[in-house]
Amino acid sequence: MLKNKLYIIGSKVLALLYFFGGLAILSGRALRWTFLAPLKRGRVLEQSRKAGVDSLPIVALISLFIGMIFTFQIAYLMQRLGSEMYIATIVALSLVRELGPVITALIVAGRVGAAITAEIGSMQVTEQIDALQTLSVSPVKYLVVPRLVALALMLPLLTLYADIIGIFGGYLICVYKLGISSTIYTKMTFDALLFKDIFTGLGKTIVFGMVIALVSCYEGFNVQGGSEGVGRATMKAVVTSFILIIATDCFFTALFYFIFP
Amino acid sequence: MRVEKSNLELKVGVFVAVGLLILVVFILLIGDFKTLSSGYRLNFTFHFINGVKIGAPVRFAGVDVGEVKNISLVTDGASTSVNVSVWVKKEVRIPADSRVWVNTLGLLGEKYVEIMPGTNSAAALEPDSVVKGNDPLAMHEVTETAGVLVNDIQDALNRIKRGEGTLGRLLFDDTLYREVDALVIDIRRNPWKLFWKTKEKSVRAPAER
Repeated sequence: MLKNKLYIIGSKVLALLYFFGGLAILSGRALRWTFLAPLKRGRVLEQSRKAGVDSLPIVALISLFIGMIFTFQIAYLMQRLGSEMYIATIVALSLVRELGPVITALIVAGRVGAAITAEIGSMQVTEQIDALQTLSVSPVKYLVVPRLVALALMLPLLTLYADIIGIFGGYLICVYKLGISSTIYTKMTFDALLFKDIFTGLGKTIVFGMVIALVSCYEGFNVQGGSEGVGRATMKAVVTSFILIIATDCFFTALFYFIFP
Repeated sequence: MRVEKSNLELKVGVFVAVGLLILVVFILLIGDFKTLSSGYRLNFTFHFINGVKIGAPVRFAGVDVGEVKNISLVTDGASTSVNVSVWVKKEVRIPADSRVWVNTLGLLGEKYVEIMPGTNSAAALEPDSVVKGNDPLAMHEVTETAGVLVNDIQDALNRIKRGEGTLGRLLFDDTLYREVDALVIDIRRNPWKLFWKTKEKSVRAPAER
């Protein structure tokens, strides 16, 4: 009984170590191929459309609602304190620094990351990856690099859209519901924001994009079994991406807090 | 195939272009371009600035006209003073007899430099001139003064409560009341007493004259 428990714990720890090792090796190879080999422009564009352009509607919708909801929640407190003027400041800062980047990354991890794992996973199951290797085409170069580059470039852009749309959502509530003048809202928003707020927010998302691409590709390559395995791998990819995004976000927020006080 | 591909490039291109446009708009709106417009510097000296920070607004007659650019400590012999260097827009003329102090703004207690315009508009402050500022009252000094005052009042009230002094007797001792009461009753009963002069008085009065 005890031996069995120990066996389970041991295998979990080993699985975690295998995961980290495999992810690190894949990251190294992908980064090397990204800078060594010439990029296939068409493939990067195709992935950019899938990751960026096609994600824009859902990102826009969710960030609009987040901006509106957040404004209401802040207004609840600020009206009690009698300082509605600062709603704009708080909404702008939290959207640009934190909510915009993280929510965009989570949406993309759910939408694009899952698709990548399912696509690569079913290629693995149907032995198309082995076929690529037989043709001496590196699967990392052919499959991972375009996705990595596309996600690392598209996520900051999507975050910019999310920031501005979220602020617009807050604007709608403040101006048409809470009766704050349009000029004051705009002035308070852009007075509060600094360059470092935008660039730390965007800098994080480059890493988030890389995390999503690498984790999804890794899980796709490591599918075991048939279509059931593809499903399990997709779920694992999304969950792992979520955890890693939040963990790296915590790390970067603490880092930026001390580097750019 | 050819059409499909250019369509794809167009989509991604529009997406990227609009994203970059948003970035540019952000940067332009946030960017502090007013410091590029021309202005001049003034130096205010204080002994205590209550936490004014670099970038704090400078208000002239309640209007934002500039900001604090630099804060430095000046130790001159035994006394320490603070030199606050501020940037003010070129078109703002500040009379030389204006008063300058540190004021507090809004909920978060943000500090700013307040300039109350003087009356002598003929003599305006020259660029780089040094003006002595009025020191803000530190909060602990206010509380100390208030504390002494409250102690004094407490002492006086305690003495009144114990029936000491004129006020104390008036409030807590009814001798005076009873005397006045008796007097009024007596006069009501014998109103002639008001017009009656006692013999001693009438005798003494002519002697005084």
